[in-house]
Amino acid sequence: MTSLFINDQEVEVTPGTSILEACRENGVDVPYFCYHPELSVAANCRMCLVEIEGWKKPAASCCTPVSEGMKVKTATESLEKDRQMVMEYLLINHPLDCPVCDQGGGCKLQDYAIEHGASKGRYAEPKRAVVNYDLGPFVNTCMTRCIHCTRCVRFADEVAGTGDIGILNRSDHMTINGIVEEALESELSGNLPDICPVGALLDKPSLDVSRPWEMTHHNSTCTQCPNGCDIQIESRGDEIMRIQPVEGSPEPWICDRGRYVYDSFRSDHRILEPKVRRDGKLESADWGEAFSRTSELLKGKKVGILFSPYWSVEGQTSIRLMRDALFPDARVAYDLHRRDMRAFAFEEGLSMTTAQIADADQVVVLGCDLRQRLPLLMQRLRKRGNAGKPVSRIGAMNYRTNMDISNDAIIRPRDWPAVIARAMEQVAQMGKTAAGFDAWVGAVDGRHEAGKLLADALMSDSCALLVGEEVRGHADAAALIYGLDLLMRACGHAEADNDGRNLIPEGMNTQVLSATFGDVRVSAGELFAAASAGELDALILVGSDPVGDGLFPSAAKAALARVPLVQVGAVSGQISEYAAVQLPAAAYAEIEGTFVNMEGRIRVAGNPIKSLGQERPLWKVMMRMVQVMGGEVPVVNLDELRQATRERMPALAGAWDASEQDSILVAPGRNKGNELLPVSVSDSFELDVVSRYSLYREGMWARASDLLSEAGNIHAMDDVLVHPDTLAKAGLSAGEHTVHTFLGEASYYIGVRDDVSPGVLFVAKRGVGGDLSDVSAASIKGGSQ
Amino acid sequence: MAISSDPRQVKQICFDRIDIPHVNTLKVAREHGAYEFLPTVLKDFDTARIIDEVKTSGLRGRGGAGFPTGLKWSFVPRNTGKPTYLLCNADEGEPGTFKDRDIMRFDPHLLIEGMIMAGFALGVKDAYIYVRGEFLHEAQVMNAAIDEAYAANLLGDDILGSGYSMNLTVHRGAGAYICGEETALIESLEGKPGRPRFKPPFPAVEGFYGCPTVVNNVETLATVPAILKFGGDWHASIGIPNNTGCKIFSVSGHVNKPGNYEVPMGTSLKTLIEDYCGGLQHGSVPKVVIPGGSSTPWLTAEHYDTPLTYDAMMKAGSMLGSGAIIVMDETADVVALSRRLAHFYAHESCGQCTPCREGTGWLKRIMNRVESGQGTEEDIQVLGDAATHMAGRTICALADGAAAPILSMLEHFPEEVRARLVEKAA
Repeated sequence: MTSLFINDQEVEVTPGTSILEACRENGVDVPYFCYHPELSVAANCRMCLVEIEGWKKPAASCCTPVSEGMKVKTATESLEKDRQMVMEYLLINHPLDCPVCDQGGGCKLQDYAIEHGASKGRYAEPKRAVVNYDLGPFVNTCMTRCIHCTRCVRFADEVAGTGDIGILNRSDHMTINGIVEEALESELSGNLPDICPVGALLDKPSLDVSRPWEMTHHNSTCTQCPNGCDIQIESRGDEIMRIQPVEGSPEPWICDRGRYVYDSFRSDHRILEPKVRRDGKLESADWGEAFSRTSELLKGKKVGILFSPYWSVEGQTSIRLMRDALFPDARVAYDLHRRDMRAFAFEEGLSMTTAQIADADQVVVLGCDLRQRLPLLMQRLRKRGNAGKPVSRIGAMNYRTNMDISNDAIIRPRDWPAVIARAMEQVAQMGKTAAGFDAWVGAVDGRHEAGKLLADALMSDSCALLVGEEVRGHADAAALIYGLDLLMRACGHAEADNDGRNLIPEGMNTQVLSATFGDVRVSAGELFAAASAGELDALILVGSDPVGDGLFPSAAKAALARVPLVQVGAVSGQISEYAAVQLPAAAYAEIEGTFVNMEGRIRVAGNPIKSLGQERPLWKVMMRMVQVMGGEVPVVNLDELRQATRERMPALAGAWDASEQDSILVAPGRNKGNELLPVSVSDSFELDVVSRYSLYREGMWARASDLLSEAGNIHAMDDVLVHPDTLAKAGLSAGEHTVHTFLGEASYYIGVRDDVSPGVLFVAKRGVGGDLSDVSAASIKGGSQ
Repeated sequence: MAISSDPRQVKQICFDRIDIPHVNTLKVAREHGAYEFLPTVLKDFDTARIIDEVKTSGLRGRGGAGFPTGLKWSFVPRNTGKPTYLLCNADEGEPGTFKDRDIMRFDPHLLIEGMIMAGFALGVKDAYIYVRGEFLHEAQVMNAAIDEAYAANLLGDDILGSGYSMNLTVHRGAGAYICGEETALIESLEGKPGRPRFKPPFPAVEGFYGCPTVVNNVETLATVPAILKFGGDWHASIGIPNNTGCKIFSVSGHVNKPGNYEVPMGTSLKTLIEDYCGGLQHGSVPKVVIPGGSSTPWLTAEHYDTPLTYDAMMKAGSMLGSGAIIVMDETADVVALSRRLAHFYAHESCGQCTPCREGTGWLKRIMNRVESGQGTEEDIQVLGDAATHMAGRTICALADGAAAPILSMLEHFPEEVRARLVEKAA
């Protein structure tokens, strides 16, 4: 430790810390504009000057490292004059339009002008005006207000990795400019208004409608992806104005999906009252009528239950309690993106925290569009890449990451066994092996060179494997994951204190789900198949949209053509056209509830926003359902429900004790003994189909949001993509072509892109690709229909 | 000529061969001693000996800051696993300075030889000369000389069979004054906008592409061959202690014979102007002398006898800087002078730091008004405040340079400024 004196107080800090950070750590206030703890140091605002004994000139504290015995003064008369002058320089060209600026009330420049500035500026010359530019739907610019701290430029370079904001010109002609066509490329762009210390970059969707001091703040958990970020929902009365990240939480940023989804909370897509279908139309009803109709459809029937992983843990327990009370034989599905429901050697969830992943010697991403799927983990990997640490990747497409991937291989999904077998052979040659290797390798015919990349990474001391949806959604996923498990064991990456096996889940709470529903779960596809085959009488859907999302839209449509649907949820989605009854349940931000993210981190939301209509917490809807259908109601209040949750999931025992919460990490499940060998598929389709998760489109909340939909349209790729060689081989070029699958033939516009693996049909826009979401193999035939 | 003959005859170091016709060609340069001592250096000298000789010589950086060259070289860490780079700062943008230009266009092989020796001492594989963008001809001469040197195995692989290899590349700037600041030069050479970096880390540790880097001025490097040939003690015997050797002074302004003059350090300002430059155009003492380029504080008649050394100039309240002496006689309008310099700095500020970005423009606009008789008493106060709080509060020294003329004007000629104010003029 280095000890130094700040204003005559001796303090100890880590060597290499800057003076500014030492001051912040020790509660000494030093004003600054350009410094940001998550960004590189620019040292350009010159507001953080301090005096150091023995130095002739004041030093910028943000870029001056501490040294032993250094004597720092942060408040002297001379520094006060310097700060007053910096304020005077800054205000030369800054318009004094605070009364009409959204930043007013939350503005560093305004605050420091009061604290350090003179009461009157002496600048009497002409002022500068700067042309604004368009950064797309989320960020508004008013560049005359810019103070050139370059936080946004550094954010675009270092965090977003897009580099689409830059500095043009110099001296007082210097301007910050966006280098964009339609919108910023980044999925983290909504953070720009947050980091701008003045009103130059402002949140566009909430522009000119509210003031910071009018807001009520509700801390909550975002459930738009399994990362489960801490969020702060800002509301004014009933209106939701913004969602912001929470200072001091594990992630300093939130993604655009989690931020701008808020407009769906108040959209027309919400289910705000019970509805029943009369003469083919969904019409308002009271709770009584809706429940009696529900009872008619379900009581004593064979039902299948499908629910979304995004409900709170309590909500999910209540689904299980409802099932056990009313339909003890019912099978349950909660994942629309998994075809193989056999137990995985390592179940969904991360065994490492995202911070640990970023620190590992090697990171290997297997089949995952991490930038769309987990933008914040991607951001951590980008930061890691900037520091020169390797990130390798194998997948069906060179997904855009905005970073330099150190080793990259594109493969077809059917190559996964050959990749893993190749890796097994290589590590075995290095003397690393595990029981079961030989049988697994023996079951695979070919070898794929991409396996070398995996095996090389496994040779490091710590290797974080990030297994994504291309593996998880594979028809033979359990065998592949068993193979990966063997590899990780062989190379020592499956120890209790060094476990690199991370399977990226589809949604929140998956560790809890695999433990509490492991005995009754099936895949959504199996559920729909059973309904289509006449084995079920009805389906209960609790908050997901199998027609709009996932891998089974055609199967869902076929099933719902046969059996009635009771829909419980907060958003209608495309599925609602099939619903016989709709029961409103409160959204994630509108309840008190518990959430477990992919790392196993627990968050208990306790300050919900106001709900608008008749929606009730899911558990109350479930219990009422039990009651109206004559079952015995298992719990009557939240405490009892939490008790029931504890019984099913002992790892959550301390979840509702504020002192324990933070220390709990719910570990993902491990299944031993299932020695699953890969089976080779043989069918007549020469192409593997991979569909893409888009953070702007996937999920019923995102589609209910106009803001995200607009961004989705801007960032959309061609609907269906293949490698140019794939078409060339068939003597075709980009254009309308017939695609043949087990579902039949349909015509699509097929674009080309070098990033896609040859032999892969890449569905860039699920939903638009429609029936292609269901299939894993296809052929292209020449010419349009 | 001197570098090939008796060191006691040497009157000039960098300009020793400058009057020889066609000495820019390798053939003529070699006839006059160029590269004559290089094989001995490559064979018999090592890093420690070269750095010792340069330290002994007392050579201080000729670009402006006057930092001891041997000490700078000794800061470069060894065995970092990264390459070490040698960059020659030939950006020569300081208004008033035009000395490096003459070295490059008349005796390019002197610079190349100096760079090979410096590169050899520092274990450099790749060296660059960053030439000011406007110096097209100089860059062409340098490139032609480098081509000849490569052809003669003086550059490239295994130089003269010594086992030492070094590449030398000329890079032309694009006209920004700030790229003469060494870290801005590095940024520019890396392909980025020329904006100075904050220090630490210093270039010696993390410079060009994050690798150990030495940036030396043309004149500094051109002095190295003579030091190694005749010894550090020889160089230290010229001039006065702590200010050794010769220095080229670029004299401009109201003198009868402006130009470059290489004289031993310690020669007085008066001697230089009267004995070498043919005296002032008007009057017997100068009104203003800017001794080290436009960024340095002004001297007035009372300092006319000051010796031209780093220390004496510092004592007189200014700096020796790059040795660009701008002389103004009694006909000079100090307000116009200051206004013109304010324009220059407002134009050349890179825009990073708040005080410089906003302050230089502010000073320029006030000076515009003051010069045209629209100034007020308050402007004098504001000029002083705005200039004082720029200097020393920014990443690089450009703000100090911008403040210097304003503060000098206010210090030495307050009555001339007041005479221009709006009330007085009316």
